[in-house]
Amino acid sequence: MSIERKDEHDHEAWIQEKDLTAVESTFLTVLVWLDRRLRIVDYLELLETLYYRVNLQMPKSHTEQYNLDNKFWYWYPLYSLGFFSTLAYVVAAISGALLGFYYSPSAAAGAADIEGATVAYSTVAAIMTELNFGFFLRSLHRWAAQVMTAAVFLHMLRVYFTGAYKEPREVNWLVGIVLLSLTMVFGYTGYLLPWDQLAYWAGQIGVEMSLSIPFIGEWVAQLLFGGFSLGQATLQRMYLLHVFLLPFVVTTVIAIHLGLVWMQGIAEPH
Amino acid sequence: MADDSRERDVVVPERLYKTVTVFSTLFAVVAVVGGFVALDVATDTGSAAPEEVSVPMSLLGVALIAAGGVVYAFASRFRARGMATDKDSDDQSADNG
Repeated sequence: MSIERKDEHDHEAWIQEKDLTAVESTFLTVLVWLDRRLRIVDYLELLETLYYRVNLQMPKSHTEQYNLDNKFWYWYPLYSLGFFSTLAYVVAAISGALLGFYYSPSAAAGAADIEGATVAYSTVAAIMTELNFGFFLRSLHRWAAQVMTAAVFLHMLRVYFTGAYKEPREVNWLVGIVLLSLTMVFGYTGYLLPWDQLAYWAGQIGVEMSLSIPFIGEWVAQLLFGGFSLGQATLQRMYLLHVFLLPFVVTTVIAIHLGLVWMQGIAEPH
Repeated sequence: MADDSRERDVVVPERLYKTVTVFSTLFAVVAVVGGFVALDVATDTGSAAPEEVSVPMSLLGVALIAAGGVVYAFASRFRARGMATDKDSDDQSADNG
């Protein structure tokens, strides 16, 4: 593959002869001007070609099976939300692993210079104020988490409104619902880790929500929060869920989710 | 929604459609994010007292967010051949390929 210029479509002449309003032709002229200089579309087309070369998916999509040339829907922006979620997950995983070197999930009394602070809160404060690039690292982790939650939700909306959940992709829709739920559990457990007021009372809400479940409420509260009042056991469980259990589970489920997309192909809009 | 009230559609060559979708989305994302950054700067991340809020900066932020939305919406009138605006419209030709 090379980036030699293809036979260029004469956009200017096309814009001239087409019956466009002044705003439309100005808009298109500006975008074509940018395209000529930045050439982003050319690089994206290379990626598209690469995707077809490495693509071994089993049932071809409708457009590929009948060799139709209307694959414009690959260029719909909202079709990139799933990839965007994955990207956010990778960024959160890497920044989270680095934060793990400096964070300690202990509810014991922490550094003396912060009144009433626990070790957990003090380590977060130290990351933010003393560690080189610590403020950046924690912000990156937090933003990646926020972006992932938002992108996963919007991805679900896109899949729903384009009918991508339909036969034969029902199983992947269900796997996606599991992933959406696990993403929120990931966010919740991470939210509790700084063990500040926000975290503590979010934990209190969690305990009370668990207790409100009929019949098994007390058992669930014990299991997830280590008791009915918040303490060291709660923080430790949230930490283990966040850095040990969920990473394995979510990474596996993401792999299954992407593997199914790989095999079934991206659903075309119905 | 009645078909008469539909926005104007402009059918463009596929290569031009790619240019439109890539660059209008890029502009919209940068403008909206930039708008929120400007609002943060104007209000000191939402913590400034009402009299300390920078009015020009806030207006710039709102204008940027609006501009991003307008560009994204405006770009949606351009479509490639064979693309229907919705599945019920009858202008989706059977020979789209």
